[in-house]
Amino acid sequence: MSINEKFTAIRKGLLEFLVLKIISADKVYAADILTQLGSTEFATQEGTLYPLLSKMRREELVDYEWKESEAGPPRKYYQLTAKGREQLRDTADYWRKISGTVKSLGQDIGP
Amino acid sequence: MNKVITINLNGNAYQLEEDGYEALRAYLEAAARGLAGNPDRDEIIADIEQAIADKFRAVLGANKTVVVSKEVKDVISQMGPVQDDSGPAAGAAGQGAPGGGPAASPGAPAGAPKRLYRIREGAQLAGVCNGLAAYFGIDVTLIRILFAVCVLSFGAGVLLYIVMMFVIPAANTPEEMAAAQGIPATAEDFIKRAREGYYGGMKAFGDRRAFKEWKRQFKRDMRRNAQQWRQDWHQRWAPGAPPHPGAWAFGSFVGIILAALSLLCVFSVISLIVTGGVLGFFPPFGMPLWLAVILVIIFFKLVKWPFRVARYGAYYGDHCCPGGPFSWFWHTFSWLILVLFLIWFANHHSVMAHDVLHRVSHEAHRAVDAVRDWWDQQ
Repeated sequence: MSINEKFTAIRKGLLEFLVLKIISADKVYAADILTQLGSTEFATQEGTLYPLLSKMRREELVDYEWKESEAGPPRKYYQLTAKGREQLRDTADYWRKISGTVKSLGQDIGP
Repeated sequence: MNKVITINLNGNAYQLEEDGYEALRAYLEAAARGLAGNPDRDEIIADIEQAIADKFRAVLGANKTVVVSKEVKDVISQMGPVQDDSGPAAGAAGQGAPGGGPAASPGAPAGAPKRLYRIREGAQLAGVCNGLAAYFGIDVTLIRILFAVCVLSFGAGVLLYIVMMFVIPAANTPEEMAAAQGIPATAEDFIKRAREGYYGGMKAFGDRRAFKEWKRQFKRDMRRNAQQWRQDWHQRWAPGAPPHPGAWAFGSFVGIILAALSLLCVFSVISLIVTGGVLGFFPPFGMPLWLAVILVIIFFKLVKWPFRVARYGAYYGDHCCPGGPFSWFWHTFSWLILVLFLIWFANHHSVMAHDVLHRVSHEAHRAVDAVRDWWDQQ
């Protein structure tokens, strides 16, 4: 089993965190999220992202507004809600704790 | 030369080659299936269609108006399988919620053929009423009362029943049982779904990672389908939980009554053939012997009917019949009321019936006296 496969579940779990983080920086289209993720280990396809965004909207973490585009019909333009920002803060805190734990346990493994 | 099909993707018209169209249709169908139970299903599908439309627009140009099959397949593999294992719906569908999946939803979904069969399980005579009740989705007691009314009107009900008994096939195999009640959870349906899923996956063959992901997903789906299928199956056809001890005793008691009635029936038929009469009652002059024998048998069947229902109910609970744990009680009760009403009706409106009843009660008294005498001698 390759490292890539071993971390499938972890990547999946972190995806929501990263999407929150991307949207928090600027209002984005779904396509922008895919582009930003595309160059990383978290490269994602529409088939996964769209159900996730819809779930996050149901949980009131994100919201969208329709925005006209140069070509084609209007697009959804995503932004964080207050609840989404709060969750991002909490997740980021938790993430710092986890990475601190990884660093502090056992032998120091790197620079 | 390839056929071209024009499609509408979220309000955008595109021309696709036929193979590409088939692939896209399978993909979108799989997506809709994967999102079954998701409250935002339609919205997500619209988003996905829009994304596909955008990707198609990218491959088209001023001199290129048709999306060829290979391009469609590339776009589909870029999109990736639609996965909805994030919401609460997906969690519930996986475990212990047979009502969650689209296959198990009540009320005959499309593609589940419903046919008229006789259902012998829980039947009183040949299962005609049972089958009719399942077919029309109404309580079997109502059908039986309707039949009884038909019997009253010149015996039309008897004729109708006998004709239906021979014309309507009995449901013997599980598939026929399912068709009689309109449940689609058959092996055929299972295989159909499996095949659809398989071909859906073949389209992602180009991308090895996508293919692996799909394979895992496919296996998991199939396992879940099989599990659900088995569960539905058990729920429907396995005998229910072991009956309550009281119910068991009651059932046995009713069983003894039934056995006594059966003996009495045999005795009556023999008596009818040998002496030409039963308990002092002789068929009207001119009635052929065979008809009298059939009438006697039908009479005993009718008398045994409520006891059989009661016994069945006691053994199987409400496993057989919808309407709560005491439906068998209601069935028996309503039937007894009907029989009593018929006797009362006959007693008041027919001199012959009145005489017969009078004689029967007289004979019953004599029989009881005889038993008492025999007991006293012991």
